Amino acid sequence: MAHRFPSDAWIKALCAELNASEAYANAAKNWEGDFYFIVEAGGPLEKDVWLYMDLWHGKCREAFEVTDPASKSPEFVMSASYADWKKVVLGELDPIKGLISRRLKLKGNMNKIMRAPQAAKELVACCTKVETEFPA
Amino acid sequence: MYGYMGRILLVDLTAGRLEDIPLSAEYARQYLGGSGLAARYLYDLVDVHADPLGPANPLIFMTGPLVGTRAPSCGRFEVCARSPLTGFWGEGNAGGFWGPALRFAGYDGIIVQGASERPVYLLVREGRAELRDAAHLWGMDTYAVQQAVQQEAGDSSLKVAAIGLAGEKLSPLAVIVNAHGRTAGRGGMGAVMGSKRLKAIAVGGRQSVPLADADRFHRAAKEALAILQEDISSQMLHLGGTAFYVDIGMLEGDVPSRYYTQGQFEGAERLSGAAMADTILRRARTCFGCAVACGRETRLPRFGVDAADGPEYETIASYGTQLLTDDLEGVAYAGHLCNVYGLDTISAGNTIAFVYYLFEQGVVSAQDLDGLEPHWGDIGPAITLTEWMARRQGIGGLLAQGSRAVAEHFGVPELAVHVAGMEVAMHDPRAYTGMALTYATSPRPGCHMQGDMYMLDSGDELPEWGMTAGARDEQSAEKARMAALRQDWRCVTNALIQCHLVHPPLELVLTMLNTAAGWDMDAGELRVCGERIFNLKRLLNLRWGLTPAHDRLPKLLLQPLAEGGAAGVVPNMELLLPAYYATRGWDPSTGGPTPAKRMELDIP
Repeated sequence: MAHRFPSDAWIKALCAELNASEAYANAAKNWEGDFYFIVEAGGPLEKDVWLYMDLWHGKCREAFEVTDPASKSPEFVMSASYADWKKVVLGELDPIKGLISRRLKLKGNMNKIMRAPQAAKELVACCTKVETEFPA
Repeated sequence: MYGYMGRILLVDLTAGRLEDIPLSAEYARQYLGGSGLAARYLYDLVDVHADPLGPANPLIFMTGPLVGTRAPSCGRFEVCARSPLTGFWGEGNAGGFWGPALRFAGYDGIIVQGASERPVYLLVREGRAELRDAAHLWGMDTYAVQQAVQQEAGDSSLKVAAIGLAGEKLSPLAVIVNAHGRTAGRGGMGAVMGSKRLKAIAVGGRQSVPLADADRFHRAAKEALAILQEDISSQMLHLGGTAFYVDIGMLEGDVPSRYYTQGQFEGAERLSGAAMADTILRRARTCFGCAVACGRETRLPRFGVDAADGPEYETIASYGTQLLTDDLEGVAYAGHLCNVYGLDTISAGNTIAFVYYLFEQGVVSAQDLDGLEPHWGDIGPAITLTEWMARRQGIGGLLAQGSRAVAEHFGVPELAVHVAGMEVAMHDPRAYTGMALTYATSPRPGCHMQGDMYMLDSGDELPEWGMTAGARDEQSAEKARMAALRQDWRCVTNALIQCHLVHPPLELVLTMLNTAAGWDMDAGELRVCGERIFNLKRLLNLRWGLTPAHDRLPKLLLQPLAEGGAAGVVPNMELLLPAYYATRGWDPSTGGPTPAKRMELDIP
C-alpha cells in the first residue's frame, strides 16, 4: 500500500522499514539521536510538514507527524524543499551530496553526524523501499 | 591600482640584484593572480630548454586580489615553475599566513631567477627587500629555519616559507613549507628553490590592500563569512579536518588502498577524522582569514613529538590506506617527517607504497631495500624509508626521485601509478570517472587540485556556470564537458587564491573581486579567465614537449577493483578523451588549442 509523502503514515512506514533492515541496524548500532525532518512549504504543500523520528542504536523507537513543532526538541533538524526531499526519498539525491550542495540543511551535533555516513546511506536505502505516493 | 599592491619583486640570484617591477594591469584582469598570473609571467620568461633545476628556470611566488583582505578563506599563495619531477608545469598552493604577509610587505608576487653561489635567504619587509647569507641555516629542518629566520631578523611576526633537507638535496618530491607544516609545491618546487640555494623567504609588513569600494567589499565579505560558518562542509572540516572524508570516501571507493589494488579497507575507520578527534588530536589550526580551521595539530607520544601538523586526508591515504595500516599515530609521524624535511606526502607516501607493492609482487627484495622488509600493514619501514629519502641515504636516494624512477630502475615502468611522472593523488578515478580526465589532462599532471570532479559529483556545484553534479560513474561527453569546466573553475580559485574546501556563492565571490579591484566582471568573464589560464598552462606544457600521448592514465587505474564502492568500474578513456578534446576546442594531433580557440581566449 502506497503512503503519501510527507505524512504520518509515511514516516511510520519508514520506521518499520528501518526496524526490518539488518544493514541499517549494523550501520547505526552506535547511533543515538532524534530528528525533525522538515518538508518546507511549496509545490503541493501549503505549509511546512514536520516529521519526528527517534533513532536509537540501529532501531527506530518512534516516528510520527508533528502538529506542534514545540512539542519536541530533537537533537537534529534537517530541512529541505518538497522537491529535494522527493529526490532523497526516490534515491536520486544522496544525502551527503544534498548537504554539500546546500539543498539539505542540517542543524545539530555535527560531531555525531561525521561518524555516521554509512548509517545515513542505509537510512536513505530504507526510504527508497517505502512504497510512496507523491501528491501532484 | 585597486585590489593589488601593484608591484612584483624581481630577484636575480646570480647577480644578487633586486628590482621592483610594476604589476601589469592587463595581465591582472586577464589572469587574476595566483597560478594564473604566474603562468602569464612565466610564458614571457620561459626558456624551453632550461633545466628545471638550473638557474634559467624561474620560480614564481604569487598572491591574488583577495589575498590579505577580509575575503574568507583567501589567505593563500601559489608557487610555480617548471617541475623537475615531470618536466612540465608545476604549481603548489598553500594556506598559512605567508601569502597575506607578502601583500602586507607591499608586493603581489616574487619572481626568482638565476642561482646564488652560496646559500641565501630573502627578507622582504615593509616594501624593502634584501638577500642575506644563509650558510648557517643550510641543513636546518623546515621548522627550525622558520624560527631561526624570525629570531635573526628580530621579528617574530615575519612569515617564513622555507625548504628542508629534501629541497637542499634537490629531490623532485621537495616542497616549500610555511606556518609550521603547511606545504606548497607538488612536483618539486622545493627542489627548484634548493637549486637556487634559496633557503627561505621571510615576509612581513603593515601595508593594506587598496580596495576600490571598501564598504561594499566588507559587507560582501561579512556575508560570505556567515555563509561559510553555516556551511555543513565547514563544520565537518572543522571537527574532523580533511580526514573527515576518509569514511565518506571509503564508502564510494574513492580512497586508494593497497597501492590502488584494493577497493575497501576496514581499518580506514581508525584513520578517520573522528578517530583522530578521539585519539591524537591536540587542537584545530587555522589559516589567515579562515572560517573553517581544518588544520590538525596532533600529539604523537610514541615518537616523542608533542605537536605535529596534520595529518590531513591525502597524507592519511598515502601513508595509511595505501599501506593497509590503521596505525594513525604512525601515519601522522610519517607525515610529520615529510613536513620537517620538506617532502610532499602524496608523492613520498605513494612512492613508498609502490615499494611495498613491488616487495609483495617479488619484484624487489629485502636486499634491494638495504635489509628492509615492507609488509602491508606495517608503517615502520615507511617511516625509515621517509628518513632515507630526505637524506638520500641508500635506497632512499632512488626513492627520492619518485615512483617513475623506482619503476624504471627495477624494470617495471608499467606498474607505477603516475601521470607524466607525478604520483596520482588520493581520489580514485574508478570511483569518480571525471577524475580520470582530470588526472590525464591536468597542467600539473595527476593532480586533484586542478579539477576536483569528486567534489562536483558529491554536490559542490556551480550553477552560475552550468556546472552540476552527475552520476559519479557516468562516462559521457557531458562528463567530459563538466571535467573541463571544473578545471577552469579551479584555475580561477587558484588565481584568486581561494581555498578549495569551501567557497561562498559565486555572486559574492564576484562582488568581492569587483569591489576589491574596481572591475565589473560577471560570471561569464570569470569563466573565460579560467579557460584562458588553463589553456595557457597547456601551451607552456606543449612548449616543454607535452604531446597527446601524455594524456593517459596508468595501467593499474584501468583495472577494475573487485570490491567496494567503485567495484567493476573502469574509466573509458577511448570515449572520454576525444569528448574532452572536442569540448576544449583542442586539435587532436597537437593536443593544444586551435588557433581559433587561442584567438577566442586572447592568448598570444
